[in-house]
Amino acid sequence: MKCDDFLNLLEAYVDGEVGEHESERVRTHLMTCSSCETEFEALTAESELYARYDRELQISPAAWNGISARIATDSSAVEPRERRDMRGWFAGLFAVPRLGFAFSGALAVLLAMFVVGYLYFRAQPNQRLLVAGAKDVRPGSSPISVQPQRSVTNSGEVTNPENPPPDQSTVAASGKEPRRPRAIPDDPGVLFTDAAYTDMEDRDTASHLDQAQKLLVSFRSLPADDEQEIDVSYEKTESRRLLNENVVMRRDAEATGKFPTKSVLGSLEPFLIDIANLPDKAPASDVRQIKDRVQRSEIVAELRSY
Amino acid sequence: MKRLAAREISLEGRPGAFAGSLMNSSADLVSRACRGDQEAFRLIFERYSRPVISFIYDQVSDRELAEELMQETFVRAFRSLKTLRSETKLSTWLFGIAKNVARESLRARIRQNQHVDLDDQQVLDLSDRGPVPVSQLLNKELNEVVQRALALLDEDKRLVFTLKVFQQCSYEEIAEITGFSIPKLKTDLHRARTEMRQRVGQYVRA
Repeated sequence: MKCDDFLNLLEAYVDGEVGEHESERVRTHLMTCSSCETEFEALTAESELYARYDRELQISPAAWNGISARIATDSSAVEPRERRDMRGWFAGLFAVPRLGFAFSGALAVLLAMFVVGYLYFRAQPNQRLLVAGAKDVRPGSSPISVQPQRSVTNSGEVTNPENPPPDQSTVAASGKEPRRPRAIPDDPGVLFTDAAYTDMEDRDTASHLDQAQKLLVSFRSLPADDEQEIDVSYEKTESRRLLNENVVMRRDAEATGKFPTKSVLGSLEPFLIDIANLPDKAPASDVRQIKDRVQRSEIVAELRSY
Repeated sequence: MKRLAAREISLEGRPGAFAGSLMNSSADLVSRACRGDQEAFRLIFERYSRPVISFIYDQVSDRELAEELMQETFVRAFRSLKTLRSETKLSTWLFGIAKNVARESLRARIRQNQHVDLDDQQVLDLSDRGPVPVSQLLNKELNEVVQRALALLDEDKRLVFTLKVFQQCSYEEIAEITGFSIPKLKTDLHRARTEMRQRVGQYVRA
């Protein structure tokens, strides 16, 4: 074994960390190697120096008193396990949860979505109402609620809807599920079932008739003096769209007893049908024929006066 | 003659029959202390308070702080006595707690921008007076030299050096206390010895 290897082993030997066999080898080498002997002497001398190292530390009696007092405090703080568990459970009910970063982020996104959604629907109340009304749309019926002509009180008495008994909700007599009453802020205590929907229905009808009137005016202005084909594709498309609306509105008006509305819609409908059935390149004679009917029937004036 | 003395010193580090009887006794004290016997814990304190405070002092170089941290060590030990495994030596376990307490304190002092290490110049100033034979060196001066040399070691080396040289822990025990591997602690110990020799060696050779 070389001296370098012994020097590495020497510290472990001084530390008492080598086995008996290794110790014997180190002792044998030390008797024959003066440099390793010198190193061993140095390590031994240092060990003696460190053994004389006195930190002059005094442990005051107060040290144990301090420890004892703190231990006693800990002991007195120990409570019956059941009581501690109950208290912990109760405290847990009101504890603020520790939210991880991911969970907090998801919560923030959800909150932001909720706020944006709330602001969006608040800014467009009419659309929200339309969406709500659309739930009741059935083929052949209006998406807007049906105003019952007669109501039945809770006692079963049949009353006129124009004079409902005070403080009593109306029930739809048509057998349909009654619509949830809506409170009107301007007149608290008075409940209406279809007021808002009726207003909307009127507005929709007015808008529909206005568009139809413009269509007819536009159609009436078409140049049909010569025999050339006339491009009526726009009027045709528009007429088909209005025809679909017209059918629905007319039926609703009939169902709700709005006979003037039903009458004007009924007058309009044949014109819409005629225009809708024209080819895109309509013969001038056909266009003139419709124009003459529009002129004669004064349908445009009727629509304007609605 | 010196060789014999060295062997006697080295033997102190070996766990022998006497150490075994002490360990059994410590186990009994631990068992009683776990049942809430404060008197048993007081005996543990009396037995281990001096090595623990010495070890802490070597790390922090402050007497008052060392006593304070020793109290903290024993309070923590009492609180976690039930976690002490039967195969773990009580002194090793206590040194482990003391190491954590001392390190926390050192970290806190570093955060407060307090320099723990002593200035190298202080040691040089002391040595400028010329080497004095160990036999003639006053104990007080010797203590200052060793203490300042220790303070100049880095934390890991100081930890390993004090546990081996002053507390006579085995390599396995040091590994258990510090969490270091045996090769690392051997390397740290060798480097610590080399550095210490540079600072105190002149007093040894003179």
